[in-house]
Amino acid sequence: MPALAVEQVNQIFGQGTARVQVLHDVNFAAEAGQLTLIVGPSGSGKTTLLTIAGGLLTPTSGQVQVAGESYQQRSPKEKEQLRLNQIGFVLQAYHLLPYLTVADQFKLVDRIRPQGNLAPAALTQLLTELGIAELLNKFPNELSGGQQQRVAIARALYPDPEIVLADEPTAALDRPRVQVVGQMLHDLAHNRKKAIVVVTHDERLLGFADAVYKMEDGRLTQTK
Amino acid sequence: MFLAIKEIRKEKLRSSLIVAMIVLISYLIFILTSLALGLAQQNTDAIDSWHVKTVVLNANANVDMRQSLLTTDQVGALPKDAAVVGQASVAVKAKGHEQVSATFLGLKASQFIAKNLTVTSGRKPTKASEVLADDSLKLKGYKLGSTITLNGLAKHYTIVGFTSGAKMNIAPVLYGTMSAWQTLKGGMPNLTASAVVAQSATFKLGTSGTKAYSTAAFIQKLPGYSAQNMTFELMIGFLMVISLIIIAVFMYILTMQKLPNYAVLRVQGVPSRVLVQATLAQSLLLVAAGLVGGTVLLVLTAVAMPAVVPMAFSVPLLSAVGVGLLAMGLIGGLIPVRRVVKVDPLTVIGG
Ligand SMILES: Nc1ncnc2c1ncn2[C@@H]1O[C@H](COP(=O)(O)OP(=O)(O)O)[C@@H](O)[C@H]1O
Ligand SMILES: [Mg+2]
Repeated sequence: MPALAVEQVNQIFGQGTARVQVLHDVNFAAEAGQLTLIVGPSGSGKTTLLTIAGGLLTPTSGQVQVAGESYQQRSPKEKEQLRLNQIGFVLQAYHLLPYLTVADQFKLVDRIRPQGNLAPAALTQLLTELGIAELLNKFPNELSGGQQQRVAIARALYPDPEIVLADEPTAALDRPRVQVVGQMLHDLAHNRKKAIVVVTHDERLLGFADAVYKMEDGRLTQTK
Repeated sequence: MFLAIKEIRKEKLRSSLIVAMIVLISYLIFILTSLALGLAQQNTDAIDSWHVKTVVLNANANVDMRQSLLTTDQVGALPKDAAVVGQASVAVKAKGHEQVSATFLGLKASQFIAKNLTVTSGRKPTKASEVLADDSLKLKGYKLGSTITLNGLAKHYTIVGFTSGAKMNIAPVLYGTMSAWQTLKGGMPNLTASAVVAQSATFKLGTSGTKAYSTAAFIQKLPGYSAQNMTFELMIGFLMVISLIIIAVFMYILTMQKLPNYAVLRVQGVPSRVLVQATLAQSLLLVAAGLVGGTVLLVLTAVAMPAVVPMAFSVPLLSAVGVGLLAMGLIGGLIPVRRVVKVDPLTVIGG
């Protein structure tokens, strides 16, 4: 059973002459322990698919299943719990809270979700793995773009979710950095048995993926 | 609370500006409240100290003891819990001292007001030429044994004692005898008093041309009393509204700037309750910090203030004002809450 499955999803925005179908009969599945890549040009519908997969948007038709359970009919509160407990998000702009130090970004999670987060030793290990263990007392504005992004990845992994959804995580990075982040995401998926789904237009990440889908004008095809 | 404290600590300049503003506003409100109370007490201290519920005046005196005169026939025989008062406005003068406007109140030594007067030094008057003066006259250099004249008349009076909290119409009171009062009024033999006061709420003289008022109604009609209180209430009310607007504007701006961050937290499944609490906690913490500052300034003022400034500090009243300001903080913090609740996580995804 895949960690995350999207079945026959259609998404239509607007009505009448403004009506646009952004997703056409999209199917895909992400397995635990794999880095799944969805690549496609800008405007092809990748972010829309990611918001549907993350329970932020209810599709016009179709199903989303997390660990075999359909979340389509659940209440907003239950979807909120789903995002809090089972799905980690890494957003394009890293959006760490500017007035929290790196350590406090994790403490905030502890306050909202007192149980089930990584133990202190496990967090230290993750931060070391990501090369940001020395940055705990820094504020986001004292970090470089790459460091902020790694903190955002650690923040997404901290509640130990089964699924991590990342939107264009390499958008602002130079080539060597892209390689580092690609390898990191690959290793996190494999070592921690996470289903990591990355949507991107950045084909430089292709080499790190276990499964690859191509998005073109709202149609998704698996290529690897 | 966590988010609120962290943000306040990170944004020190911003937070201290808001706190500084609330310090100044709360200090101003505290001072005005104390001044209002102080002035109000200077109107009513004497009456309050008598613990009377009813004041009987001449029905045509416009509820003003200064205009009221009662004849012997109108007053008649009084029960034990009633007493006559003869009021006269006087200018007190003594050699080498500045002139002081005062309210002379003639009392009968056998009646309860005179009996219950507390003397802080000296003794109560026993003769027509003796007076008991309010403590504030000491600040003007008057002492036990000072010889004074009233309204420039030839007769001399001696201050034989002092009492505290004896003020009427924002003037110090000189308690004397009824015969001294009659002399001040020109010695008209038929006049017994300006007013009759009684401890009973239902007391009345029942004679023609007299009317009984509750002490509260009488106080409201003291010259300038209600106008002065309303002026202060208006100023304090406006300051409350101003503080509400300032807090609301600040909280609104601070919250608007954070909406993208809040949207990210919503994406991550953080309940909006947490964000609403953070907003309200931030507002309340800033106001509370401001109140602490305002209170410190108020205490320093109270210590440093010369005794002639008519301020009275009432902890319950000032606490109520503080609670009012906290309520303003809460309301001000609630204004941006609608935006926090409505924040759309989709707005920060993609781009
Ligand atoms: N809420 C919306 N209403 C209307 N059109 C939308 C909305 N969201 C996205 N779109 C459209 O859907 C298309 C796909 O957008 P998006 O999923 O963001 O693509 P990508 O992430 O691949 O760049 C775009 O043409 C975009 O304009
Ligand atoms: Mg996108």
